[in-house]
Amino acid sequence: MLIETGIDRLDELLKGGLPPVTNTLLYAAPFIGKDTIAKHYALAGLQAGEPVIFVLTDRSFLEMKDEMKQLDSNFPSYEDKGMVRYIDVYSKSVELDEKGPNVTFVDSPINREQITASIIKAEKAFTEEYEQHRLILDSLSTLVVYSDAKAVFRFLQVVSGTCQRMGSTSIFTMTRGMHEELEVQTIKHLMDGVVEMKEDGARMQIRVQGCGEVVSRNWIDYLLEQDEVRLTGAFRMSRVA
Amino acid sequence: MIETGIPRLDKYLGGGIPEQKSLLFSISPEVEESNVAIHVLQHNLKQGNDCIYIVSKSSPKQVRQSFTEFGWPLADYPGTLYMVDGYSRLIGAPSDQDYLIFEPHDILSYEDVIEELLLDTVPEGSLLAFDSLSNVMDLCGERDALKGVKRINGEIGERNSVAIYNFTAWPYKENIMYRIQRRFDGIVEVHSVTEGAFTGQAYRVKQTSWNGVTGTSVPFKVFRPGGIKLYIPKMLVVGPFKAGKTTFIKQLSERSTQVDRMGATIAVEHGTVDHKGYRAELFGIPGQERFAPLMDKMGATASCAILVIDASDPSFEKARAAVDYIRRAGIPFVVAANKRDMPSTVGDEEIRRMLDLHDVPIIDTVATSGRGVMETFEALVQRMEEVSDAD
Repeated sequence: MLIETGIDRLDELLKGGLPPVTNTLLYAAPFIGKDTIAKHYALAGLQAGEPVIFVLTDRSFLEMKDEMKQLDSNFPSYEDKGMVRYIDVYSKSVELDEKGPNVTFVDSPINREQITASIIKAEKAFTEEYEQHRLILDSLSTLVVYSDAKAVFRFLQVVSGTCQRMGSTSIFTMTRGMHEELEVQTIKHLMDGVVEMKEDGARMQIRVQGCGEVVSRNWIDYLLEQDEVRLTGAFRMSRVA
Repeated sequence: MIETGIPRLDKYLGGGIPEQKSLLFSISPEVEESNVAIHVLQHNLKQGNDCIYIVSKSSPKQVRQSFTEFGWPLADYPGTLYMVDGYSRLIGAPSDQDYLIFEPHDILSYEDVIEELLLDTVPEGSLLAFDSLSNVMDLCGERDALKGVKRINGEIGERNSVAIYNFTAWPYKENIMYRIQRRFDGIVEVHSVTEGAFTGQAYRVKQTSWNGVTGTSVPFKVFRPGGIKLYIPKMLVVGPFKAGKTTFIKQLSERSTQVDRMGATIAVEHGTVDHKGYRAELFGIPGQERFAPLMDKMGATASCAILVIDASDPSFEKARAAVDYIRRAGIPFVVAANKRDMPSTVGDEEIRRMLDLHDVPIIDTVATSGRGVMETFEALVQRMEEVSDAD
């Protein structure tokens, strides 16, 4: 069973979805739909009965909660069922004093030990009840900015291994244009696939590398409309690279 | 000698960390909670030692909060804590600390502050806690950071002080790990363990340049409040009908839950003991024979047992059956010879002979007054330590 991303034509491109228990890098320029894909991915999981872990470095869990609620008014009911866990790596470092159920606060993005420990704890709790779950870490870029790519690489070695052991299908986001090519390659090395998004003049394009068998590995045009990513480019007929 | 205050660790280190020595806590990144430095610091502050704490992963404010969460508010100690803020400049936040690392990406910046503190401020024989080495290695470069550590340890030696380092054992390259092993006088490894009913951490002394005992793996858990405690997930309290188990558990535990009916215990009793660095979950097993299957089941996952017998009741038939159960489970145990306040009781030697106990410790107790109850607990953990050290 493949793991549906919640973006219809992206799933078609992926021949059904992401391979289960894999790690995917979502690598995109800012403001062109990275968050939208991540949120739909989370929602599709919840709708399929798979719980979700959000690891947030750039916004508080409350902001995430609101955004998810806007996407689906039914979101709070999943939270009530205990299917959503947040690891908030943002609030404490900007001295926001927030509280909530199913949230673990991490001091700062520098404290990768605590992030790792919190992820393991959340995953363990889910494995007791669910066969598989989803994890979204948004974003690796922030972790890299506060230390360096090599340190984040070592962190990811541990975390990606844990995710696989615990049955998580995970998405890690990284912002295009923030990092040197070597840093990106280093991180990609630990992933099972990459979903890349770029802006080319007025066109926005998406492409898939790795991620098992796919229909096309070419750049595909897409449109970003309020909380929707719609793949408009043709790929049925395209050559499979 | 600087004690770590971590239960049993000082014993393995031969009393603590000798002056002029450095000790590395090498912590697996999968460990859920690893506030080793905080535990060691509070132990020393409590004893009136001055301590230097270099923090690089959290703000000094958050560190203070952590101390409070552990039940150790910093204001309460006779020793002074000199916190060195290696964090604020890293994230571009303002700092109100007296000791600030201006260049967190330069190991010399750490050395400058440490040197100033060691030479001008803290007395000889103080403790320096560096939290964390891995973080500073990531910031300053692995080789440069380790060269700096060598110089810091040199200063520590000259000032007859002690240094401990928190190190997260991310998958660094082998040559770096090799350097690390040579750079410290002692290494204690911490990793996560899942063993039967127990999930938590375990530490193990890997090496010492003095005569420490290496090799024994000691499971522990971190409690907030409470800190590092050796955790016994299942300690059985077994014994014949009306020998006094319920009272025994009541006395032994801070909080216990039991279901009493008609004076005889009919369900499994539970309690928790917090004593001398240990936290143990107590499970009382009722004496009636029909609970024998329960005993067999509980025994399979238990770590140890206390056998409570009625020393005023000379028929030891039921007690013998209980001894057999425990022996079958193959776990360490001690005997509480209870009701010692009764007019006529059987002597220890007689009990030993009747129950075929050989070298099992027997402790005289009066559960109703609490006499001998804590001693029984201490004798049992002592016995467990002997067993695990012999492995």
